[in-house]
Amino acid sequence: MHYQGDYYWGYYMPTRSIGSDPMERVVKLASEKAVVIFSLSSCCMCHAVKRLFCGMGVNPTVYELDQDPRGKDLETALMRLLGNSQPVPVVFIGGKLIGAMDRVMASHINGTLVPLLKEAGALWL
Amino acid sequence: MANHRVGETGLADSGPSSNHHHHHNIPYAVLHGMNVPPSFMHQEGSAFDFGELEEAIVLQGVKIRNDEAKPPLFTAGRPAATLEMFPSWPMRFQQTPRGSSKSGEESTDSGSGVNTISSKTENQVEPESPISKKTSSLDQQQQVEMASDISRTGTSQNQSAAAKTPQEKRRGSTSEKQLDAKTLRRLAQNREAARKSRLRKKAYVQQLESSRIKLTQLEQDLQRARSQGFFLGGCAGTVGNISSGAAIFDMEYSRWLEDDQRHMSELRTGLNAHLSDSDLRIIVDSYISHYDEIFRLKVAAAKADVFHLITGMWTTPAERCFLWMGGFRPSDLIKMLISQLDPLTEQQVMGIYSLQHSSQQAEEALTQGLEQLQQSLTDTIAGGPVIDGMQQMAVALGKLANLEGFVRQADNLRQQTLHQLSRILTVRQAARCFLMIGEYYGRLRALSSLWASRPRESMMSEDRSCQTTTELQMVQPSQNHFSNF
Repeated sequence: MHYQGDYYWGYYMPTRSIGSDPMERVVKLASEKAVVIFSLSSCCMCHAVKRLFCGMGVNPTVYELDQDPRGKDLETALMRLLGNSQPVPVVFIGGKLIGAMDRVMASHINGTLVPLLKEAGALWL
Repeated sequence: MANHRVGETGLADSGPSSNHHHHHNIPYAVLHGMNVPPSFMHQEGSAFDFGELEEAIVLQGVKIRNDEAKPPLFTAGRPAATLEMFPSWPMRFQQTPRGSSKSGEESTDSGSGVNTISSKTENQVEPESPISKKTSSLDQQQQVEMASDISRTGTSQNQSAAAKTPQEKRRGSTSEKQLDAKTLRRLAQNREAARKSRLRKKAYVQQLESSRIKLTQLEQDLQRARSQGFFLGGCAGTVGNISSGAAIFDMEYSRWLEDDQRHMSELRTGLNAHLSDSDLRIIVDSYISHYDEIFRLKVAAAKADVFHLITGMWTTPAERCFLWMGGFRPSDLIKMLISQLDPLTEQQVMGIYSLQHSSQQAEEALTQGLEQLQQSLTDTIAGGPVIDGMQQMAVALGKLANLEGFVRQADNLRQQTLHQLSRILTVRQAARCFLMIGEYYGRLRALSSLWASRPRESMMSEDRSCQTTTELQMVQPSQNHFSNF
């Protein structure tokens, strides 16, 4: 699990302005790595979802939004994306939105999570 | 009233001269449009009194009251107790076939009734008589109906027609006889029995009425509490220190348990009847929806009073032993089922083990999340300056609110596990599986009650001896004669 602590995305993407649309940021971040989790360091449900993936042997990329200066915007964007009152945790696999904790667990129980992880290259046999 | 309803049914069903061979289970009284309480419909008891029967046959042509407001009732399941009040008639008569009642249907003339009775009497002792089986269910109604009529009318016509079947049975004579003292005593006892039945019925109906009123009051309270919203610490309508949200959920849960019994018996009969897969699928799906409903109810309950769920106060003590995050642990359930679900295909076995594995991983993740919450809560309220007390509490309250999320995720996990089980298994296997689950929790609940009522040495004191006696009788009926020692 590694944490992205770099604040100035503009440094990596010179063509983008710093005030890019938060939703676009979310999508961009989500598609860069196999398993992406948006989290808050104080949120225990986020802790649970991280433990779930680690327990499966997956190495997810975690963005702690309370440690991002523009994290608030991202939280709002995520809330709008899910239609939830809770912005986090939100999980993307292979750039595709899986959802919040309930969707993640449902897909694990019905057996669709592991194939997705394998497809995204996050899990090997 | 139910009586009138049944009476109307009886009238609609058959005419007076209907062929009784087609009315196996329709009581005699219903066949002839008499008021019969619904509790009589399913009595196939063996307790039987010929005295009642002869009076019944006699009166059938004399006076049948259809508009009697209070026909006598034996409370369901207790005809034997009442009929045992007639010591003049030895019990062996109770098993004889009921050919005579059949003949009673066929005629309204007491005279010809006698003749047909006598002819049928000869048939009575044949156990293979096709008539005997049919009449067994008619007896109680008939005799009680007639007994009540007799006791009400008390006409002398009773007496003239009283010397019927038993005498014939005993002496084989078909002539009318004068009443003897025995018959008189029997008639009096019949009247007494009928009177007692009426009183019992009255008491029962009153009890029902008061329960109904209580039920409507409860439902109104429930409505009111719902509209007022839920908050801890109680509001109008709380009992003791249980919050209204918890009380409401407890009520809903007990109703759900009753539904559960119904669903389980549907599953049982469906399996035993070897229904087609599509028919069984309907029953299985409805059982899954039944479980979906309790999870829905728990969502609201978690919002109202998460501690009630998470401490397991809504369940029985034995279930509480196995409690995990406000309910059952899915992987434990699968472990319990695995051995009983044979035979399974290899693919199914793999599916079940994979389900167990993934549910264990999910449970572990949630448990660790909850542990982190507890740790964070402890950090918040442990120590710290007194001045910041309220701030501290406010933060702690905020953290506590996360409990609801965990209970919800745990319930979600349970629901998903049950759905996945039904996907892996065939319809028949799923039906058996859900039956097993229902029976397992039923037994766990029964265990809790038995445990609560078990006899304890400390309760053997004088003033508690009756209570202990009752408990012993409940738990070990064969040993209740030891309770006085």
